[in-house]
Amino acid sequence: MNDARNFSDEHLNAYIDNELGAQECDEILAAIVEDAELGQRLCVLRSTKELVRHAYGHIPAGRRKRNGRASLWGGALAASVALVAGVLIGWQGHRAAVVSPSGSLLAWAGGLFAPQPARVLLHLDSSQPERMEEALDLAEAYLAKAGNARVEIVVNNAGLDLLREQSTPYAARIASLASHYEMLTFVACGNAIARYRNAGLDVTLVPEAQVASTAVEHVVERMRQGWTYLKI
Amino acid sequence: MRLLQSRAQRELADKIEASRGQLYRLAFAWCHDAVLADDLAQEALAHGLARIEQLREAERLMSWLFAILNRCWIDHLRGRRDDLDDEMLVELPSPLPGPDSHAESQETVSRVRAAVAALPLGQRQVVTLVDLEGCTYAEVAEALAIPIGTVMSRLCRARSALRGLLEPAAAQTRLRSVK
Repeated sequence: MNDARNFSDEHLNAYIDNELGAQECDEILAAIVEDAELGQRLCVLRSTKELVRHAYGHIPAGRRKRNGRASLWGGALAASVALVAGVLIGWQGHRAAVVSPSGSLLAWAGGLFAPQPARVLLHLDSSQPERMEEALDLAEAYLAKAGNARVEIVVNNAGLDLLREQSTPYAARIASLASHYEMLTFVACGNAIARYRNAGLDVTLVPEAQVASTAVEHVVERMRQGWTYLKI
Repeated sequence: MRLLQSRAQRELADKIEASRGQLYRLAFAWCHDAVLADDLAQEALAHGLARIEQLREAERLMSWLFAILNRCWIDHLRGRRDDLDDEMLVELPSPLPGPDSHAESQETVSRVRAAVAALPLGQRQVVTLVDLEGCTYAEVAEALAIPIGTVMSRLCRARSALRGLLEPAAAQTRLRSVK
Protein backbone atom coordinates (compact mmCIF):
# COMPACT_ATOMS: atom_id res chain seq x y z
CA MET A 1 0.00 0.00 0.00
CA ASN A 2 1.25 3.45 -0.78
CA ASP A 3 1.63 5.90 1.99
CA ALA A 4 2.27 9.62 1.64
CA ARG A 5 6.02 9.23 1.82
CA ASN A 6 5.97 7.09 -1.29
CA PHE A 7 4.74 9.96 -3.39
CA SER A 8 7.37 12.48 -4.31
CA ASP A 9 6.50 16.15 -4.62
CA GLU A 10 7.16 15.87 -8.34
CA HIS A 11 4.59 13.11 -8.55
CA LEU A 12 2.03 15.12 -6.60
CA ASN A 13 2.69 18.17 -8.75
CA ALA A 14 2.08 16.05 -11.81
CA TYR A 15 -1.19 14.92 -10.23
CA ILE A 16 -2.53 18.43 -9.64
CA ASP A 17 -1.37 19.45 -13.11
CA ASN A 18 -3.32 16.60 -14.72
CA GLU A 19 -0.18 14.98 -16.02
CA LEU A 20 -0.79 11.50 -14.62
CA GLY A 21 -2.58 8.61 -16.22
CA ALA A 22 -5.83 7.24 -14.85
CA GLN A 23 -4.18 4.44 -12.93
CA GLU A 24 -1.71 6.70 -11.17
CA CYS A 25 -4.52 9.12 -10.28
CA ASP A 26 -6.50 6.23 -8.78
CA GLU A 27 -3.51 5.25 -6.65
CA ILE A 28 -3.22 8.74 -5.26
CA LEU A 29 -6.93 9.04 -4.62
CA ALA A 30 -6.93 5.72 -2.81
CA ALA A 31 -3.98 6.82 -0.70
CA ILE A 32 -5.61 10.11 0.26
CA VAL A 33 -8.47 8.26 1.90
CA GLU A 34 -6.08 6.62 4.31
CA ASP A 35 -3.58 9.38 4.72
CA ALA A 36 -4.54 12.85 5.83
CA GLU A 37 -0.97 14.10 5.45
CA LEU A 38 -1.04 13.30 1.76
CA GLY A 39 -4.28 15.22 1.40
CA GLN A 40 -2.68 18.15 3.18
CA ARG A 41 0.35 18.12 0.87
CA LEU A 42 -1.90 18.12 -2.18
CA CYS A 43 -3.97 20.90 -0.70
CA VAL A 44 -0.89 23.08 -0.19
CA LEU A 45 0.32 22.43 -3.74
CA ARG A 46 -3.10 23.25 -5.17
CA SER A 47 -3.35 26.46 -3.20
CA THR A 48 0.14 27.48 -4.36
CA LYS A 49 -0.94 26.90 -7.94
CA GLU A 50 -4.13 28.89 -7.40
CA LEU A 51 -2.25 31.75 -5.77
CA VAL A 52 0.05 32.10 -8.78
CA ARG A 53 -2.87 32.03 -11.18
CA HIS A 54 -4.79 34.56 -9.10
CA ALA A 55 -1.81 36.91 -8.78
CA TYR A 56 -1.75 37.60 -12.52
CA GLY A 57 -5.47 37.73 -13.15
CA HIS A 58 -5.34 41.52 -13.36
CA ILE A 59 -2.05 42.97 -14.38
CA PRO A 60 -1.18 46.57 -15.14
CA ALA A 61 -1.98 47.47 -18.71
CA GLY A 62 0.88 47.85 -21.12
CA ARG A 63 1.03 50.73 -23.52
CA ARG A 64 -0.94 49.06 -26.25
CA LYS A 65 -4.57 48.15 -26.40
CA ARG A 66 -5.21 44.48 -25.85
CA ASN A 67 -7.89 44.17 -28.48
CA GLY A 68 -5.64 42.66 -31.06
CA ARG A 69 -4.71 45.41 -33.44
CA ALA A 70 -1.61 47.40 -32.69
CA SER A 71 -2.47 50.87 -31.56
CA LEU A 72 -0.40 53.95 -31.97
CA TRP A 73 1.15 55.24 -28.86
CA GLY A 74 2.85 58.43 -27.94
CA GLY A 75 5.39 59.13 -25.26
CA ALA A 76 7.52 56.41 -23.74
CA LEU A 77 10.04 57.15 -26.44
CA ALA A 78 12.92 55.56 -24.65
CA ALA A 79 11.03 52.33 -24.25
CA SER A 80 9.98 52.40 -27.88
CA VAL A 81 13.56 52.88 -28.92
CA ALA A 82 14.43 49.83 -26.88
CA LEU A 83 11.69 47.93 -28.65
CA VAL A 84 12.90 48.91 -32.07
CA ALA A 85 16.41 47.94 -31.11
CA GLY A 86 15.21 44.64 -29.71
CA VAL A 87 13.19 43.73 -32.76
CA LEU A 88 15.96 44.73 -35.05
CA ILE A 89 18.35 42.43 -33.30
CA GLY A 90 15.96 39.70 -34.29
CA TRP A 91 15.56 41.13 -37.75
CA GLN A 92 19.25 40.90 -38.31
CA GLY A 93 18.96 37.17 -37.89
CA HIS A 94 15.88 37.24 -40.02
CA ARG A 95 17.72 38.86 -42.87
CA ALA A 96 20.18 36.05 -42.97
CA ALA A 97 17.29 33.68 -43.41
CA VAL A 98 15.66 35.77 -46.09
CA VAL A 99 18.58 36.43 -48.36
CA SER A 100 19.27 33.60 -50.69
CA PRO A 101 22.56 31.84 -50.10
CA SER A 102 22.88 31.42 -53.81
CA GLY A 103 23.27 35.00 -54.93
CA SER A 104 22.46 38.66 -54.61
CA LEU A 105 19.25 40.04 -53.29
CA LEU A 106 18.23 41.02 -56.76
CA ALA A 107 18.87 37.56 -58.13
CA TRP A 108 16.97 36.07 -55.27
CA ALA A 109 14.09 38.44 -55.93
CA GLY A 110 13.30 36.41 -59.02
CA GLY A 111 11.57 34.07 -56.62
CA LEU A 112 9.23 36.87 -55.68
CA PHE A 113 7.80 36.97 -59.14
CA ALA A 114 6.55 33.44 -59.19
CA PRO A 115 3.55 33.76 -56.88
CA GLN A 116 0.61 36.06 -57.42
CA PRO A 117 1.60 39.71 -57.37
CA ALA A 118 1.42 40.72 -53.80
CA ARG A 119 2.38 43.46 -51.48
CA VAL A 120 5.97 43.67 -50.52
CA LEU A 121 7.44 45.51 -47.62
CA LEU A 122 11.12 46.33 -47.87
CA HIS A 123 12.69 47.29 -44.59
CA LEU A 124 15.86 49.34 -44.49
CA ASP A 125 17.66 50.32 -41.31
CA SER A 126 21.06 51.20 -42.67
CA SER A 127 22.49 54.36 -44.16
CA GLN A 128 25.03 52.50 -46.26
CA PRO A 129 24.54 53.74 -49.82
CA GLU A 130 24.77 50.25 -51.25
CA ARG A 131 21.95 49.08 -48.97
CA MET A 132 19.85 52.08 -49.97
CA GLU A 133 20.49 51.29 -53.57
CA GLU A 134 19.58 47.66 -53.03
CA ALA A 135 16.23 48.73 -51.61
CA LEU A 136 15.48 51.01 -54.53
CA ASP A 137 16.71 48.48 -57.10
CA LEU A 138 14.63 45.75 -55.61
CA ALA A 139 11.51 47.93 -55.45
CA GLU A 140 11.97 49.00 -59.03
CA ALA A 141 12.67 45.50 -60.29
CA TYR A 142 9.64 44.15 -58.55
CA LEU A 143 7.29 46.92 -59.70
CA ALA A 144 8.57 46.72 -63.26
CA LYS A 145 7.90 42.99 -63.47
CA ALA A 146 4.95 42.40 -61.20
CA GLY A 147 2.55 44.90 -62.69
CA ASN A 148 -0.02 46.00 -60.18
CA ALA A 149 1.86 44.91 -57.08
CA ARG A 150 2.37 47.27 -54.20
CA VAL A 151 5.76 47.93 -52.73
CA GLU A 152 6.54 49.87 -49.64
CA ILE A 153 9.96 50.85 -48.40
CA VAL A 154 9.92 51.41 -44.67
CA VAL A 155 12.98 52.95 -43.05
CA ASN A 156 14.06 53.31 -39.47
CA ASN A 157 17.23 53.84 -37.47
CA ALA A 158 20.00 55.03 -39.80
CA GLY A 159 17.87 53.97 -42.76
CA LEU A 160 16.01 57.22 -42.23
CA ASP A 161 18.83 58.87 -44.15
CA LEU A 162 17.30 57.51 -47.33
CA LEU A 163 14.24 59.72 -46.92
CA ARG A 164 15.88 62.68 -45.22
CA GLU A 165 16.56 65.55 -47.56
CA GLN A 166 19.66 66.51 -45.62
CA SER A 167 21.30 63.16 -46.20
CA THR A 168 19.78 61.17 -49.04
CA PRO A 169 21.92 60.63 -52.10
CA TYR A 170 18.82 59.40 -53.93
CA ALA A 171 16.28 62.25 -53.77
CA ALA A 172 16.00 62.47 -57.54
CA ARG A 173 15.68 58.73 -57.98
CA ILE A 174 13.01 58.52 -55.28
CA ALA A 175 11.05 61.29 -56.99
CA SER A 176 11.39 59.60 -60.34
CA LEU A 177 10.37 56.18 -59.02
CA ALA A 178 7.41 57.61 -57.15
CA SER A 179 6.15 59.46 -60.22
CA HIS A 180 6.61 56.38 -62.37
CA TYR A 181 5.13 53.82 -59.98
CA GLU A 182 1.96 54.84 -58.22
CA MET A 183 2.03 51.69 -56.12
CA LEU A 184 5.35 52.52 -54.53
CA THR A 185 5.29 54.20 -51.14
CA PHE A 186 7.97 55.33 -48.76
CA VAL A 187 7.42 55.28 -45.01
CA ALA A 188 9.65 56.74 -42.32
CA CYS A 189 9.62 55.67 -38.68
CA GLY A 190 8.33 58.37 -36.33
CA ASN A 191 10.61 57.15 -33.59
CA ALA A 192 13.66 57.47 -35.79
CA ILE A 193 12.68 61.03 -36.71
CA ALA A 194 12.25 61.89 -33.03
CA ARG A 195 15.62 60.38 -32.21
CA TYR A 196 17.35 62.37 -34.92
CA ARG A 197 15.73 65.57 -33.69
CA ASN A 198 16.60 64.77 -30.09
CA ALA A 199 20.17 64.45 -31.24
CA GLY A 200 19.95 67.97 -32.69
CA LEU A 201 19.70 66.92 -36.33
CA ASP A 202 17.31 68.54 -38.77
CA VAL A 203 14.87 66.21 -40.39
CA THR A 204 13.06 67.29 -43.51
CA LEU A 205 11.65 64.35 -45.36
CA VAL A 206 11.53 64.07 -49.12
CA PRO A 207 8.02 64.95 -50.34
CA GLU A 208 7.27 61.33 -51.25
CA ALA A 209 7.72 60.09 -47.67
CA GLN A 210 4.94 59.26 -45.29
CA VAL A 211 5.42 58.84 -41.55
CA ALA A 212 4.37 55.89 -39.38
CA SER A 213 4.23 56.08 -35.63
CA THR A 214 6.87 53.39 -35.38
CA ALA A 215 8.41 51.13 -37.98
CA VAL A 216 7.90 48.06 -35.84
CA GLU A 217 4.18 48.54 -35.48
CA HIS A 218 3.88 49.40 -39.12
CA VAL A 219 5.66 46.22 -40.12
CA VAL A 220 3.57 44.12 -37.78
CA GLU A 221 0.40 45.64 -39.15
CA ARG A 222 1.46 45.11 -42.75
CA MET A 223 2.40 41.52 -42.10
CA ARG A 224 -0.90 40.95 -40.38
CA GLN A 225 -2.50 42.17 -43.59
CA GLY A 226 -0.55 39.60 -45.54
CA TRP A 227 2.34 41.64 -46.88
CA THR A 228 5.62 39.99 -47.68
CA TYR A 229 8.39 41.28 -45.48
CA LEU A 230 11.94 41.57 -46.67
CA LYS A 231 14.82 42.97 -44.71
CA ILE A 232 17.36 44.74 -46.86
CA MET B 1 9.67 34.37 -48.44
CA ARG B 2 7.10 35.81 -46.18
CA LEU B 3 3.91 35.45 -48.15
CA LEU B 4 0.81 34.77 -46.14
CA GLN B 5 -0.71 33.06 -49.11
CA SER B 6 -3.31 30.78 -47.75
CA ARG B 7 -6.43 31.51 -45.81
CA ALA B 8 -5.11 29.17 -43.13
CA GLN B 9 -2.04 31.32 -42.73
CA ARG B 10 -4.08 34.48 -42.54
CA GLU B 11 -6.26 32.92 -39.88
CA LEU B 12 -3.15 31.93 -38.05
CA ALA B 13 -1.86 35.49 -38.30
CA ASP B 14 -5.09 36.70 -36.72
CA LYS B 15 -4.69 34.17 -33.94
CA ILE B 16 -1.14 35.30 -33.36
CA GLU B 17 -2.28 38.89 -33.13
CA ALA B 18 -5.10 37.85 -30.79
CA SER B 19 -2.62 36.18 -28.46
CA ARG B 20 -1.02 39.51 -27.58
CA GLY B 21 -2.78 39.65 -24.19
CA GLN B 22 -1.64 36.17 -23.25
CA LEU B 23 1.94 36.86 -24.27
CA TYR B 24 1.89 40.11 -22.37
CA ARG B 25 0.63 38.46 -19.20
CA LEU B 26 3.28 35.77 -19.38
CA ALA B 27 6.03 38.28 -20.12
CA PHE B 28 4.84 40.36 -17.19
CA ALA B 29 4.99 37.34 -14.89
CA TRP B 30 8.57 36.78 -16.04
CA CYS B 31 9.88 40.32 -15.78
CA HIS B 32 7.34 42.17 -13.61
CA ASP B 33 7.79 45.29 -15.68
CA ALA B 34 4.74 46.44 -17.64
CA VAL B 35 6.67 48.39 -20.29
CA LEU B 36 9.24 45.68 -20.87
CA ALA B 37 6.53 43.01 -20.93
CA ASP B 38 4.71 45.01 -23.57
CA ASP B 39 7.86 45.26 -25.66
CA LEU B 40 8.60 41.57 -25.32
CA ALA B 41 5.07 40.59 -26.27
CA GLN B 42 5.18 42.88 -29.29
CA GLU B 43 8.56 41.57 -30.31
CA ALA B 44 7.36 37.98 -30.00
CA LEU B 45 4.35 38.85 -32.16
CA ALA B 46 6.55 40.40 -34.82
CA HIS B 47 8.82 37.34 -34.84
CA GLY B 48 5.84 35.01 -34.90
CA LEU B 49 4.27 36.78 -37.86
CA ALA B 50 7.59 36.87 -39.67
CA ARG B 51 8.04 33.12 -39.29
CA ILE B 52 4.48 31.98 -39.59
CA GLU B 53 5.26 29.45 -42.27
CA GLN B 54 7.61 27.67 -39.87
CA LEU B 55 4.69 26.65 -37.68
CA ARG B 56 3.88 23.14 -38.81
CA GLU B 57 0.94 22.36 -36.56
CA ALA B 58 -1.60 25.10 -35.91
CA GLU B 59 -2.70 23.55 -32.63
CA ARG B 60 0.77 24.08 -31.25
CA LEU B 61 0.56 27.81 -31.86
CA MET B 62 0.73 28.90 -28.24
CA SER B 63 3.70 26.79 -27.20
CA TRP B 64 5.42 27.94 -30.39
CA LEU B 65 4.74 31.56 -29.47
CA PHE B 66 5.88 30.96 -25.90
CA ALA B 67 9.12 29.57 -27.29
CA ILE B 68 9.54 32.75 -29.35
CA LEU B 69 8.77 34.90 -26.32
CA ASN B 70 11.36 32.95 -24.39
CA ARG B 71 14.00 33.65 -27.04
CA CYS B 72 13.09 37.36 -27.05
CA TRP B 73 13.40 37.41 -23.27
CA ILE B 74 16.74 35.61 -23.25
CA ASP B 75 18.03 37.92 -26.00
CA HIS B 76 16.94 40.87 -23.93
CA LEU B 77 18.75 39.59 -20.85
CA ARG B 78 21.87 38.76 -22.83
CA GLY B 79 21.73 42.18 -24.44
CA ARG B 80 21.96 43.76 -21.04
CA ARG B 81 24.62 41.45 -19.68
CA ASP B 82 26.77 39.62 -22.15
CA ASP B 83 28.53 37.67 -19.41
CA LEU B 84 25.50 35.49 -18.76
CA ASP B 85 25.95 31.83 -19.47
CA ASP B 86 23.06 29.37 -19.51
CA GLU B 87 23.57 28.36 -15.93
CA MET B 88 23.51 31.93 -14.66
CA LEU B 89 20.50 32.72 -16.80
CA VAL B 90 18.23 30.15 -15.21
CA GLU B 91 19.21 31.41 -11.77
CA LEU B 92 18.42 35.07 -12.44
CA PRO B 93 15.84 36.57 -10.10
CA SER B 94 13.47 39.19 -11.43
CA PRO B 95 13.56 42.78 -10.21
CA LEU B 96 10.89 43.22 -7.59
CA PRO B 97 7.49 44.14 -8.98
CA GLY B 98 6.91 47.87 -9.00
CA PRO B 99 4.02 49.50 -7.17
CA ASP B 100 0.77 48.65 -8.82
CA SER B 101 -2.28 50.56 -7.72
CA HIS B 102 -4.49 47.61 -8.43
CA ALA B 103 -2.35 45.25 -6.44
CA GLU B 104 -1.79 47.61 -3.57
CA SER B 105 -5.32 46.95 -2.48
CA GLN B 106 -4.64 43.24 -2.65
CA GLU B 107 -1.88 42.31 -0.32
CA THR B 108 -1.96 38.66 -1.32
CA VAL B 109 -1.49 39.49 -4.97
CA SER B 110 1.48 41.71 -4.18
CA ARG B 111 3.07 39.09 -1.97
CA VAL B 112 2.63 36.31 -4.50
CA ARG B 113 4.09 38.43 -7.27
CA ALA B 114 7.04 39.30 -5.08
CA ALA B 115 7.54 35.61 -4.34
CA VAL B 116 7.34 34.69 -8.03
CA ALA B 117 9.78 37.50 -8.84
CA ALA B 118 12.22 36.08 -6.30
CA LEU B 119 12.32 32.72 -8.06
CA PRO B 120 15.27 31.95 -10.31
CA LEU B 121 14.34 32.63 -13.93
CA GLY B 122 14.25 28.96 -14.94
CA GLN B 123 11.75 28.14 -12.19
CA ARG B 124 9.75 31.32 -12.75
CA GLN B 125 9.24 30.51 -16.41
CA VAL B 126 8.14 26.95 -15.75
CA VAL B 127 5.71 27.76 -12.96
CA THR B 128 4.08 30.62 -14.88
CA LEU B 129 3.73 28.57 -18.06
CA VAL B 130 2.05 25.76 -16.13
CA ASP B 131 -0.06 27.77 -13.73
CA LEU B 132 -0.94 30.87 -15.77
CA GLU B 133 -1.05 29.51 -19.26
CA GLY B 134 -2.16 25.99 -18.45
CA CYS B 135 0.62 24.45 -20.50
CA THR B 136 1.29 20.74 -20.26
CA TYR B 137 4.74 19.66 -19.17
CA ALA B 138 5.48 18.63 -22.75
CA GLU B 139 4.51 22.07 -24.03
CA VAL B 140 6.72 23.76 -21.46
CA ALA B 141 9.59 21.49 -22.41
CA GLU B 142 9.15 22.44 -26.04
CA ALA B 143 8.74 26.16 -25.37
CA LEU B 144 11.84 26.38 -23.20
CA ALA B 145 13.82 23.70 -25.03
CA ILE B 146 14.49 21.69 -21.89
CA PRO B 147 13.78 18.04 -21.00
CA ILE B 148 10.50 17.17 -19.30
CA GLY B 149 12.43 15.94 -16.28
CA THR B 150 13.88 19.43 -15.90
CA VAL B 151 10.40 20.92 -16.20
CA MET B 152 9.24 18.69 -13.36
CA SER B 153 12.18 19.37 -11.10
CA ARG B 154 12.06 23.13 -11.68
CA LEU B 155 8.33 23.18 -11.07
CA CYS B 156 8.80 21.21 -7.88
CA ARG B 157 11.48 23.56 -6.62
CA ALA B 158 9.44 26.60 -7.67
CA ARG B 159 6.34 25.55 -5.78
CA SER B 160 8.39 24.53 -2.80
CA ALA B 161 10.14 27.92 -2.80
CA LEU B 162 6.86 29.76 -3.21
CA ARG B 163 5.46 27.86 -0.25
CA GLY B 164 8.49 28.84 1.77
CA LEU B 165 8.20 32.47 0.76
CA LEU B 166 4.48 32.66 1.35
CA GLU B 167 4.34 30.45 4.39
CA PRO B 168 5.91 32.60 7.17
CA ALA B 169 3.05 35.04 7.38
CA ALA B 170 0.52 32.24 7.26
CA ALA B 171 2.44 30.34 9.91
CA GLN B 172 2.59 33.39 12.16
CA THR B 173 -1.12 33.83 11.82
CA ARG B 174 -1.62 30.24 12.88
CA LEU B 175 0.75 30.63 15.84
CA ARG B 176 -1.08 33.68 17.05
CA SER B 177 -4.37 31.86 16.89
CA VAL B 178 -2.91 28.92 18.84
CA LYS B 179 -1.66 31.18 21.63
